Amino acid sequence: MNKRFALFAALALVVVLAGAAFAAYEPGTKMTVGFVYVGPIGDYGYSYAHNEGRLAVEALPWADTFYVESVTEGQEGPVIEDLIATHGCDVVITTSFGFMDGTLDAALNHTDVIFGHASGYKRAPNMMTFMADFYQVYYLNGIIAGALTETNKVGYVGAFPIPEVKRHLNAYAMGVKAANPDAEVHVKWIYSWFDPGAAAEATEALIAEGCDAFAFTEDSPTVVQKAAENGMISFGHYGSQMYTFAPDYVVSGQAVNWGSILVDFLQKVYEGEYTAENLANIDYWWLMAQGAVYPEAAPGDPINPLYVDALKAYMIDDPAFGEISAYDLFMIRMAQFGDPGVTFDPFQGPISDRNGNVVVPAGMWLSADSLITMEWAFENVVGAWPGEPE
Amino acid sequence: MMKTPAWIQIDRRPSPSGLTVFAISVIAILFALVMAGLFFEFYGVSALRAYGYIIKGAFGSRLGLTETVRGMIPLLVIGVGLVVAFRALFWNIGAEGQLLMGAVAASGIALFSGIPSPWLIPAMFLGGFAAGALWGVGPAILKAKLGINDVITTLMLNYVAIYTVHWLILGPWKGLTQRGFPYTDRFPTAAFLPMLGGTRIHLPTLAIGLVAAAVMYFVVKKTRVGFEIRVVGENPDAAKYAGISQTKITVLAMVISGGLAGVAGVGEVAGIHHMLFNPSSIALSYGYTAIIVAWLARRNPLAVILTSFLFGVIMRGGDVIKISLGLPFQLVNVFNGLILFFLIGSEIFVRYRVRFGTKKETA
Amino acid sequence: MSWESWVISTISRTLAYGTPLLLATLGEIYAERSGVLNLGVEGMMIVGALTGFAVASQTGNPWFGVLAAGVVSGLFSLIHAFASVTLRANQVVSGLALTMLGLGLSGVIGRSYEGRPLMHTLDKISIPLLEKIPVLGPAIFQDQNLLVYIGIGLAILLWFVLFKTRIGISIRAVGEDPATADSLGINVARVRYLCVMVGGVLAGIAGAYLSVAYRPSWTDGMTAGMGWIVIALTIFAFWNPISGMFGAYFFAGLFVLSFRLQAWLSPELLKAMPYILAIVVLIVVSRGTLQKRMGAPSALTLPYTRGED
Repeated sequence: MNKRFALFAALALVVVLAGAAFAAYEPGTKMTVGFVYVGPIGDYGYSYAHNEGRLAVEALPWADTFYVESVTEGQEGPVIEDLIATHGCDVVITTSFGFMDGTLDAALNHTDVIFGHASGYKRAPNMMTFMADFYQVYYLNGIIAGALTETNKVGYVGAFPIPEVKRHLNAYAMGVKAANPDAEVHVKWIYSWFDPGAAAEATEALIAEGCDAFAFTEDSPTVVQKAAENGMISFGHYGSQMYTFAPDYVVSGQAVNWGSILVDFLQKVYEGEYTAENLANIDYWWLMAQGAVYPEAAPGDPINPLYVDALKAYMIDDPAFGEISAYDLFMIRMAQFGDPGVTFDPFQGPISDRNGNVVVPAGMWLSADSLITMEWAFENVVGAWPGEPE
Repeated sequence: MMKTPAWIQIDRRPSPSGLTVFAISVIAILFALVMAGLFFEFYGVSALRAYGYIIKGAFGSRLGLTETVRGMIPLLVIGVGLVVAFRALFWNIGAEGQLLMGAVAASGIALFSGIPSPWLIPAMFLGGFAAGALWGVGPAILKAKLGINDVITTLMLNYVAIYTVHWLILGPWKGLTQRGFPYTDRFPTAAFLPMLGGTRIHLPTLAIGLVAAAVMYFVVKKTRVGFEIRVVGENPDAAKYAGISQTKITVLAMVISGGLAGVAGVGEVAGIHHMLFNPSSIALSYGYTAIIVAWLARRNPLAVILTSFLFGVIMRGGDVIKISLGLPFQLVNVFNGLILFFLIGSEIFVRYRVRFGTKKETA
Repeated sequence: MSWESWVISTISRTLAYGTPLLLATLGEIYAERSGVLNLGVEGMMIVGALTGFAVASQTGNPWFGVLAAGVVSGLFSLIHAFASVTLRANQVVSGLALTMLGLGLSGVIGRSYEGRPLMHTLDKISIPLLEKIPVLGPAIFQDQNLLVYIGIGLAILLWFVLFKTRIGISIRAVGEDPATADSLGINVARVRYLCVMVGGVLAGIAGAYLSVAYRPSWTDGMTAGMGWIVIALTIFAFWNPISGMFGAYFFAGLFVLSFRLQAWLSPELLKAMPYILAIVVLIVVSRGTLQKRMGAPSALTLPYTRGED
């Protein structure tokens, strides 16, 4: 009987120890967070911004981080496995839409590990989603573009004609209209997130059409450089890195602070509020009010000081505020966006698309779902628009 | 040739044995690894430690070994086909595009054909083979009938394949569940290839690769068709006099080569990704890497099993140094380049025997 | 916007984008004319791009960058020359290996240069009298980079050398029938080495143009497959420098148009157009007897050894 008891105790001990080895993260203890990027952090664009977010996490006293860059979509599975098995990550953050299924598979296989997926929509008890969207910032940039354009033609170089980019483009176009009802927004698509040659020629094509103010979705400063070469203004994508390529011509831009979301989330994990069991409905959709995105030219400047006077001199006849300068309108809208109470949204009705369909009736706002599946083009947009509803 | 001092004798080796070739190749690769080790040292990482990681990463764990094999599968399948094409002197630089067209066929069948399990997967493989073969047959006919250079036609079609995929994933085949991103919907689970449990090894494609290697070895060495392929490749004039139709042989070689590349494409979308999306993330330069794999196999389809495994190890090694050591992933290309150049350099020792000492007088 | 300014800007951009294609194609034409296939163009171009950017950054002088790029890529190409000519290795594999090595080395070494703006780029110039010509003037002679004109000049010069001088005859002889060339006293190896180097130098300059003039910056992989287009263009041009020039501008023009015509044609179709048309043109041309005179150099990819089988 002694032998059997000893055997049983030994087995029980093994089971307990094994359970402890695979135990989920203990709140209040040191946390290891792994990051998977789709591009190199040296891209000074998308992955660079995510890495800045990681650095904010690294600065926390109770968090260690680890990252793997340039992971092709579809190949994230083994990388996530390595992060968990070899580096003991308690939390894994994946940062591209295409990592969605791989992250979900890993989440279902490792139910003690916590996962966060950027820009996706599939969740699990241990997998949340998060997104910092630029559309409000593009609206603000649009106000500036509409005010400063001398040809009444504003350009946008778009990556893919997908809802995310269309949403940004439409917000930009609405900002343009708010400042300048006579202006048009011309778009060219380059079918890549990163293709400097294509971005260069698309910009030149827009210039040939008469555009003189440029916003874009492409992970390089090419559009900024091309515009500056021709003495034209632009809005930096992903923040102040792009400003350094043309400090006299980058008037504003879209900047993101992924760290704000990550720190908020991980703090809650550290305090035990979020665990590997209650994340199925956690979906961060953070905008300017939460400080996740903001307009920026040089660090700390929402507007390039060289252009403030011109913006103050440009007068708009606004339906809500009457006679107001572009600068003041920008500032008012920025404050409104910054207010968690949500007093203004560009996508509030009535809005018609360029085919005359009413896409947002008067008195209504667009739901998050409609924002995420947007395919229409705003009334002042000119150019190819694949996937446009009739 | 170069003038050599009297105390070095260089004689042509009449027909180097397989063992000689293998041994010399291994030595060349070791030299390359030593040189690549210098790069690690340059980054402040001990070369021994780095290689330790790579060996552990490629062989030392279940995940590592299975990832090595997973990377090997498309290289094996395409490589066997390329050996056949190269034997017929057809420079198929278009395997990348043929892979993509195979992936397109498989995706179309998986998403829209409504064929039920268990016929769905075989239909996908057949469709993928046919699509890849068709994509390769065009250049073959153009070369045989009009003498148009095969390098350019196969290369151009790679790009056409890429833009075809772009058009499909952004247009008619755009997913309804993918938030408008450029991906098709996920395949139905009936279209998922059976995997080796818990790994990313898609078994049917691996099996096809191994079988194809054996079959092509037999065909090339022992059958009449294989004989004709070899003659066309080694002595086109003799082939003409022997009445062998160059057109027929070139087309046949490309049906095999393009078809196998298409099969590799089926494996990638049905085994790994379960959808059609960004073409460069599907093809991953397998079509170009397989050219090296095929060359290294020195025209022997069975040897492709070895050479594709070697490159599977290299690719896994590249991922490992990226993940574990944070070294720039571009080092893999430096690796590959060095290995290739050392192998190229070693060829001279395969073809010629170098001896020291003066030539013995013959009676 | 008038159709006139549309045409002018399209032609102007075609010249700008076509110049690196042209320069590298001219180099590859020479290499292949001497019988050596060099698939390493992508690797040589990107090494040139990094060198050009790095030297221009450090010295503040973009032309030093361009020169240095030519020198470094020329030396880099020697690896392929040595493998192909002296070791008589398989040229397809050697070229691919050169591309891999070039991409890898530039990616690794270039890390510290990523994201840096270039302060002094190549200036644009306009040619005084010629720019006044209606339409064509502003299109060709205004606000272009000097390298654009160097490219056109080189095309004409290299055509002349290849077809009208003894050097050119030697090169072509070595590429068509090295045994006979050898017996006539031409140093086959030396000619091939030099031609491969010319290919390297021009590919390097083409790469530097991208990183110093076209889009002043360095990014890993920035040549984005241009080297492969060059290899196709060499064949498309039937190994003739002047046709190479037209071929380069043909491709560049279609690329530039693919953005301007977006409103009317499917963008994917526009992007695939150059490649489809290249094959179509080859088919059309091959049907005639032109094919005989315009085929590949007979000894292309075949190593030469004196007195061997």
